[in-house]
Amino acid sequence: MMELRSTLAGRIVLTAVATVILLFLALPIVVIVVTSFGSNAFGSFPPEVWTLNWYRVLFADGSKWPAALSLSVLVAALSTAFSLIIGVTAATALTRSELPLRSAVYALVLGPLLIPQIVTALGLFLLFEPASMLGSPLAIALGHTVLASPIAVLILVATLRGIDERLEDAAASMGAGRLTIARRITFPLAAPGMIAAAIFSFITSFDEFYISQFLSSVDTVTLPVQIYNSLTFDIDPSVTAISAILIAFAILALALVALVRWFGSGRQNSLLSVETATGIATPGGETV
Amino acid sequence: MAATLTSTGPARPRKLLASRRIRAGILYALPVIVYLLVLFVYPIFSTLFLSLKNADGSLTLHWYADALTGVNLSVLFTTLRISAETALFSLVFGFVLANAISRLKPLLAGLAMLIVVVPHFISALVRTYGWIILLGDKGLVNQGMADRWFPGAPYQLLYNEIGVVIGTTSVMLPYTVLLLYGVMRGVDRRLLAAAASMGAGRVTIFRRVYLPLVAPGLASAGLLSFILSLGYYITPALMGGPNQTMIASLINQQVMKQNQWNGAAAEGVILLLLTFAGLLLVKLVSSMGASAKKRSAS
Repeated sequence: MMELRSTLAGRIVLTAVATVILLFLALPIVVIVVTSFGSNAFGSFPPEVWTLNWYRVLFADGSKWPAALSLSVLVAALSTAFSLIIGVTAATALTRSELPLRSAVYALVLGPLLIPQIVTALGLFLLFEPASMLGSPLAIALGHTVLASPIAVLILVATLRGIDERLEDAAASMGAGRLTIARRITFPLAAPGMIAAAIFSFITSFDEFYISQFLSSVDTVTLPVQIYNSLTFDIDPSVTAISAILIAFAILALALVALVRWFGSGRQNSLLSVETATGIATPGGETV
Repeated sequence: MAATLTSTGPARPRKLLASRRIRAGILYALPVIVYLLVLFVYPIFSTLFLSLKNADGSLTLHWYADALTGVNLSVLFTTLRISAETALFSLVFGFVLANAISRLKPLLAGLAMLIVVVPHFISALVRTYGWIILLGDKGLVNQGMADRWFPGAPYQLLYNEIGVVIGTTSVMLPYTVLLLYGVMRGVDRRLLAAAASMGAGRVTIFRRVYLPLVAPGLASAGLLSFILSLGYYITPALMGGPNQTMIASLINQQVMKQNQWNGAAAEGVILLLLTFAGLLLVKLVSSMGASAKKRSAS
C-alpha cells in the first residue's frame, strides 16, 4: 500500500518536472512566433495589439533581409548539390565495393562533425582569404559542404545498407547492365534517402553561422549572420518576423522528411513481396 | 598438387572481380577524399602551422604563451567553466526527461520526442533570441512569474552567466536527451524485475542496478555536451556580458577585429586539443561500458 502510493506520487512529480523541461525547450520558439505578430517586439507578453507590421517591414524598401535570404538560399542550394554528389559516390564506395582503408575513410568523413566548427571556419578563412574569395557565394557553399556532406554520407550509407542487395543481384542475373540496375532498381529505392539527405544538407547550410561569418564580406551576408548582426548591433524588431519564418521553414522541412520516409518504407516491401509471396525468400519457411 | 589445381581454376576470375571492386571503391571514394583533404584537412594543418610561426616565418611558441596568459587565460577558464555548467545542467535535465519519456506509452513518447527534436533543427540563433525576449526585464519570466510569486522582480537574467547557462543548456539539451533515451531504452527491464524479485527496494534497484547500467551513457552524454559547448559562442555572445567571452568568440574577434591570425590559430589549436581530450575520454568510457556489460552478461 505504502509502496504503491509512493510510486504514484513519484510518477506525478516526474511527469511534472518532465513537462517543465519540455516547456523549457518549446517556450523560446513559441514566444518568438507570438511576438512576431505583436506591436512591440521587446514589450509585454502576450502582445496587447496584434499586427503584421514586422512581416511588412521585412520586404520594405531598403531592407537587408531579401538580399540575405536570397544569398542563403543560393548557398544552400549549391551546398546541397555538392553534398549529394559527394554523398552518393562516397556511400556507394562504402557499401557496394571493396575499399582499402575503409575505416580511415570513415574517420575522415566523420571528422568535420567531431571537431569544433569554429576551427573549421578559421581554417577555411585561411584558405579563402589569400585567394580573395571572401564574400563569394561559391566559397561559402564549398565551406558549408564540409559540414553538410558528412551528414549526407551517413544518411546515404544507411539508405544503401537498407536496400536488399539481392534485388540488384536478381536484376544482374537477368542480364541488366550496371547502369540499368542503378537506374531501375537502386535509384528508385534510394530516392527517399536521397531526398532526406538533400533536405538535411539544405538545413545544415541554411542555418550555418560560424563558416558564414568568417567567409562573408560586407555586402554578402547570409541570413544567420544578418540575424546575429541585428541582435548585436542594431536591435531591429523585424528580426522576430524572419525568425518566425525560419521556424515555420524548419518544421515544414522536418514534416517533409517524415512524409518521404513514410512513403519510401512501403516501396522496398512491395518489391520484396513478390518473392515472399512465392516463398523464395523464406529460408526455413514451410512454402518452397 | 591437388591444391595448385583447385587454386588455379576459379581463383583468377574471382581475383579479377575483386580487384575491379577495389578499383571501383577507390574511384567512388575519390570525390569525398579529395574534397575533405582540400577543404578540411589542409585548412586544419595550415591553422596548426600558422600558430607556430612568427611574422618573419621562423618557428615560435610565442602565440601559445600569449594564449595562456592574462585575459586570454581567463577566457580559457571561462570557457571550461561555462561548458562544465552547461554539461551538468543538460545532463541532469536530460536524465530526468529521457527517463520520463522512456516510461511513456508510444504515442505520448513520440509526441514528447517531437518537442525535443524539432527545436534541434531550428537555428540556435533563433532560439537564443527567444530566450532574450523571455528573460528580459519585461519578459514572460520576470513579468509573468517572478513579479507575482517572488519579491524583488525584475531580476537581472540577461547579460550575465545565468542567462548564458539557461540559453546554452537549452541548445545542448536535445543531444543529451536523444543519447540518454537510446541508452535507457536499451536497459533490460528483466534485470530490474530480477532484483525486485530478490527483495531489493526501489531505491536499491535504482542505485545498484539501473544507475550502473546507464552510467557509461550518462558519462558520454555529459562529455558530449561539454565538448559541444567548448567551441560554441552564439548564445554566450548574445546573452552574456564581457565576463562570458568564450574561446570561439575570442578567435572570431582576433581575426575580424585585430587581424591577429596567428593568435587565433593558437587558440584554435588549444580548442582542438581540448576537444580531442574530451573525445578520447568518451571513447574510454564507452569501451569501459562495453566491457562492464560483457562481464554482467557472463
